[in-house]
Amino acid sequence: MIRKADIILAVILIVLGLAASYALSAGEESGQMVRITVAGEEYATYSLAEDRTVTVDKDNHTNKITIKDGAVSMTFSDCKGQDCVHQGKITKTSQSIVCLPNKIVIEIEGENQEYDAISR
Amino acid sequence: MTGKSGQTTAYKIALASMMAALALIFSYIEALIPFSIGIPGIKLGIANLVILVSLYILGFGYTLAINVIRILVAGLLFNGLFGALYSLAGGLLSLAVMYLLKKTGLFSTVGISMAGGVAHNLGQLLTAAFLVSTIKLFFYFPVLLFSGIISGILIGIITHLILKKLPASLYAATGRAKNSKKPD
Repeated sequence: MIRKADIILAVILIVLGLAASYALSAGEESGQMVRITVAGEEYATYSLAEDRTVTVDKDNHTNKITIKDGAVSMTFSDCKGQDCVHQGKITKTSQSIVCLPNKIVIEIEGENQEYDAISR
Repeated sequence: MTGKSGQTTAYKIALASMMAALALIFSYIEALIPFSIGIPGIKLGIANLVILVSLYILGFGYTLAINVIRILVAGLLFNGLFGALYSLAGGLLSLAVMYLLKKTGLFSTVGISMAGGVAHNLGQLLTAAFLVSTIKLFFYFPVLLFSGIISGILIGIITHLILKKLPASLYAATGRAKNSKKPD
C-alpha cells in the first residue's frame, strides 16, 4: 500500500516542519510590547508590564484583550469559532493570537524593535 | 454497461451528485463535532475522503465540481461564507496538489492524501495571512504542517480501503479500469 515515494515525501515534509519550528523558536525572546492590529491596521500598542484590559470595538465586533502578569490573552470575542479565546496566554515574541473572523491580531514585540526602526 | 457516450455521462453526473451530497454530510458532521484544540485550522477533514475517492473513480473535472459545490453549499448552510473562503483556498490547492501527485503515478493514496492535507492547511494559512495582512501567522505553519501530515495519512489509509471495496462495475461504468488505476 505504501510506496517508496510516499515515505520520501513524508520525510521531506517532516524535516521541513522541524526546520521551520526550529527557525521560528530560535528568534524567540520574552517580549516587552503588545501590538494590536485590526484588519492589517495598527490599533494600539501597550506595554506588557502594565496590567490592563482593552476592549476593541470595531466593525460591529467586540473583543476583549487582557494583559496580566506579563502575559496577553484574548478574554472575550464575539466570533463564532472562539479559537482566539481558547488559545490562552502568550508571552514570547514569536507568539501571536489571531481572531480571523474579526481580523484582530495580537502580537508581542521585543523592546529594541522600535529602536532599530528609528536608528535605521 | 460501458456505453461510450450519453449513458456514461448521465451515470457520472448522478454519481457525482451523490458524492457531492455525501461530502456535504461529512462537512456537516465535521462542523457539528469540532475537535478544536485551541489552534485554528486543525481538522480531520473527513470530507476529503469523498474528494479523494472521487478523484480515483470520476477524475479531476467531476471532483473539482463536487468540491466547489460542497464548499459553497456548506458555507451557505453552516460554515458561513467567511469560512467558505478559507475552505475554497484550502480545497482548491489541496485538490490541485493531489491531482498532480496522482498523475505522476509514483504515490499511493496515503502519500497523495498526506500532501493534500498539508496543501489544504497551507492554502488556508496563506488566505488567512492575506486577510489579516500579517506574515506572523506563519508561526502556525509547523503545527499545521504536522496536523496536515497526520490527518492526511489517516484519510489516505481509509481511502485505500474504500477503493479496494468498491465494485469493479463502478470503475467500468465511469470508464476507469480498476486494476490499472488501483493504488497499492
